[in-house]
Amino acid sequence: MDFTFSPEHNALRRMIREFVENEVAPLAADLDKKHLVPRETMRKLGQLGLLGVCFPQKYGGAGAGETGYCILMEELGRVCTSTATNVGAHIGIGAMAIYLDGTEEQKRKYLTPLSRGEKIAAFGLTESNAGSDAANIRTRAVREGDSWILDGGKVYITNGGYADIVTVLALSDPALGVRGGVTAFIVETTWDGFKVAREEDKMGIRGTSTAELVFEELRVPHENVLGKVGEGFVSFMKTLDMGRLTLGAAGLGGAEAALDAAVYWAKTRKQFGVELAHKQSVQWMIANLATHIEALRSLVYRVAWMVDTGQPFTQLAAMVKMYGSEVGSMAIDLAMQIHGGLGYSRDFPIERAFRDARIAEIFEGTNEIQRIVIASNIFRELGVRVRP
Amino acid sequence: MDASFLDLLMAQQEQVAEAESGGGGVWVVADVVNGALAAVTLEAIGAARSLADSLGAYVYGVLLGDSVAELAQPLYQAGADGVRVAGHPALAPFALEPYVNVLADLFAAERPEVVMFGATPAGQELAARLAQRMGGGLIEHVTAVTLDQSTRAVQGAFPIYGGEYFEIAACPQARPQCITVEPGAFSMPYLDPYRKGEPKAVEVQPVEPRVRVVGPAEGFEPPALPLRDAPLIVAAGRQAGDFALVRQLAERLGAHLAGDRGAYDAGWIGAEQIVDVRGVVVAPKVYVAVGIRGDTFHNAAIEKAGFILAIHPDPEAPIFGLADLCLVAQPSEVLPALLDIL
Amino acid sequence: MHIIVVIGRVLDPRGLVVNRRAGRVFVNREEYVLQPADRCALEAALRIKEAVGAEVVALPRGPLPDDDVLRQALAAGADRAVYLKGRIGSLPYEDAVMTRVLVAAIERLGGADLLLTGATTLDTGQGQLGIRLAEAFGWPQVVGAWAVTATNGRVQAVVRDGASYLTVEAGLPAVVTLAPGSLKLRYPDSARLINVYKGVGDVATALETWAMDELVGAEALQPLLEERGQDFPPERERGTRVSGSAEEMARVAADALRKWVRG
Repeated sequence: MDFTFSPEHNALRRMIREFVENEVAPLAADLDKKHLVPRETMRKLGQLGLLGVCFPQKYGGAGAGETGYCILMEELGRVCTSTATNVGAHIGIGAMAIYLDGTEEQKRKYLTPLSRGEKIAAFGLTESNAGSDAANIRTRAVREGDSWILDGGKVYITNGGYADIVTVLALSDPALGVRGGVTAFIVETTWDGFKVAREEDKMGIRGTSTAELVFEELRVPHENVLGKVGEGFVSFMKTLDMGRLTLGAAGLGGAEAALDAAVYWAKTRKQFGVELAHKQSVQWMIANLATHIEALRSLVYRVAWMVDTGQPFTQLAAMVKMYGSEVGSMAIDLAMQIHGGLGYSRDFPIERAFRDARIAEIFEGTNEIQRIVIASNIFRELGVRVRP
Repeated sequence: MDASFLDLLMAQQEQVAEAESGGGGVWVVADVVNGALAAVTLEAIGAARSLADSLGAYVYGVLLGDSVAELAQPLYQAGADGVRVAGHPALAPFALEPYVNVLADLFAAERPEVVMFGATPAGQELAARLAQRMGGGLIEHVTAVTLDQSTRAVQGAFPIYGGEYFEIAACPQARPQCITVEPGAFSMPYLDPYRKGEPKAVEVQPVEPRVRVVGPAEGFEPPALPLRDAPLIVAAGRQAGDFALVRQLAERLGAHLAGDRGAYDAGWIGAEQIVDVRGVVVAPKVYVAVGIRGDTFHNAAIEKAGFILAIHPDPEAPIFGLADLCLVAQPSEVLPALLDIL
Repeated sequence: MHIIVVIGRVLDPRGLVVNRRAGRVFVNREEYVLQPADRCALEAALRIKEAVGAEVVALPRGPLPDDDVLRQALAAGADRAVYLKGRIGSLPYEDAVMTRVLVAAIERLGGADLLLTGATTLDTGQGQLGIRLAEAFGWPQVVGAWAVTATNGRVQAVVRDGASYLTVEAGLPAVVTLAPGSLKLRYPDSARLINVYKGVGDVATALETWAMDELVGAEALQPLLEERGQDFPPERERGTRVSGSAEEMARVAADALRKWVRG
């Protein structure tokens, strides 16, 4: 067992860390305060090929695999959860759907500009009646000659307000439902019938676009069907599996940053004549958190390795997402406590990180869903199909 | 003994006699700036003097440039035993090649043990080129010297990471040992007015300089250095008094201007100039805190400063626990005096 | 045009702590960064390459335990890099000997039109390497440039003159050393980076390794300088109060400032 990163991954991390320090960190506070989307950062990342970090080089990516992608998300997560979320939605679910199920033609047409940041992607699954119950989508897709007409809408779509490409899941045969009646489409947002209805005003990750999309007689050419007609649900579930893992990586980054901040403040802040670091209660908080972070890091990169070596990873990806989001919340909560009043001030990054962390337990499949996935997988090994 | 008798005695002016033959010696190449000797040259002569005394050798100075002969006497007064003057109109700033040739020829004949230069832009270029041409070793930015008697090697200490600590190196075999001397590191020697000498002229072969000055760099703007990387910072606080004086001090020192949150509230500085853990964390070599009381959040942001000077009227101000030099006074009284001197 | 960039690394000062009382340097986090001024030199080379076309070859500033510095240069956009394997005594800075090695390496590469490197090193503050190379080749040098352009056998650079900036010019071949902070090195393309470190693709043959003692012979690798120890500044004394009139206080403050600002 070799637990070291390869030289190329170490070099990638070093380069990303420098980029994040110089280009992402200075903007983080403003993204949050002014509710701005980091378009310039996305463009710069794209120019360096990082918006396709895990995709093969022939599609404009870096060819660094899932491990490279986790490294990108971890480093971004350390500094700006909003930027990490923009990137994660673009690579991990938006473009990923095309990478996993697209034809060669579709990959060449869409994946390459997505990898270079020339176009931005989003993932259109969630609807007002279909959150955790993803199978309950109502958006209709009706075949008409060599195109499909989409009617309906999506909610809570990250990057939805400025994406160029959205991979959309729609009901192509209501009678069949999830088993054979759901189809995935690659939609270009400039087409007639595609509309961004509104932007969510959120507690955290305010540097992201979380949009409601409306499709009114949106005509999609048949060549933009992603995967096979009727098999969209399976395709989307596969995509979500991949996206999950890197969310855990971003959580890891956020937790590491929270721990670093807590340690720094504990060694700096003096009360009762002595630094907080000398207080046992503080030491134990830090020791507990550091242990969780080590465990999370091992889990994240082990699962990345499993993806890169073609091994099954669904159950572990769910664990990473669940554990990563909860460690992330625990970490920032602890950091806020250690920072005391300073942590609560809007002039200091702790409170923003606190607001940003909470969503990780909710989106990309709530932690409840993750637990169902994990438990189902465990029982299935014994031949039991549990009904949650 | 009265003063006049003493004067008579001293008036038998000490004429410095040079050694007959060439060979050995501690040589100092003078830095001439705007027609005057740079202080570092005299400091180097002082250092050269003590080295030469331990080596049992002579100290020589070399003057290069246009009309520099009259600068020879201070070199003698500082302790030089001999001075060579290479004066020629062709020698001018930014045309260092002729200098290198002159020195190389001179030193090929004189075979110095040690050659010292000022650690100035010109001194550095001359030293490196000469050391390379003659096969000597070169240690730059030396701040202290001792002698290793066994090999007659100068042990020079030079700063690491801008002075975090010092490395000491020596060049035991190769000759000459070249050193560039850090300005201000060695004390100015006593200039003995009764010590005089006759400088010797050295022949100069003019050489066309290969680097030509085209003119001022039109429209060139150097990249702006962000506050967090600034090496010198002058910061104002609520008690700073007249902010214009603080700004003047920053300009005089070539420092970045900043302040604490009080200065921002007073409208003197922008948000990006706030030194605070909630603003910009800085790590300058020098931080001047004018009228800053110094709360935890400000002080944590200047932890890495090399030298902190604090001026504040309240003797209990927390900044004084952190500052290296503490002036308990009103900035409005100290700053004008400080600006007068600097 | 053939451009040589001489590039080195330095221990990141953020990872070390100097204990003056103990007279020791503690390296808490051993991480290396490229010499800041050498990064400027690499960026200058890449900009000239973009402007007029050139082959940029990276060589190391000193002995290195591995080729990572050269890989970083390739990743940023250098066309070739040569890792020079070997040691020069125990000192990490031995510019006189390194000059011999670099001259031999550059001759083996077929010479160059322009040599770019940093004007000073972050740790030892030594600026002699670029100048020694200029002397060794008999080329003119421009030291401490803030900008460099090169065309048609000539190089132009912006240098500082007191508080203002001048443009100077020299014929090629020449050495130009870059001032730290003059130019910001671009980020490497991530695909190129991956390939450089994996040794695959277009850049598979871009990195070579030569042995120093093959280039100059073991005799020539004997260092001129020897380390004789370290010295530490006096312990920091905070809270020194100055009393007296405003003029007296100002005088003490001015003395201290002059010493610190100059050094």
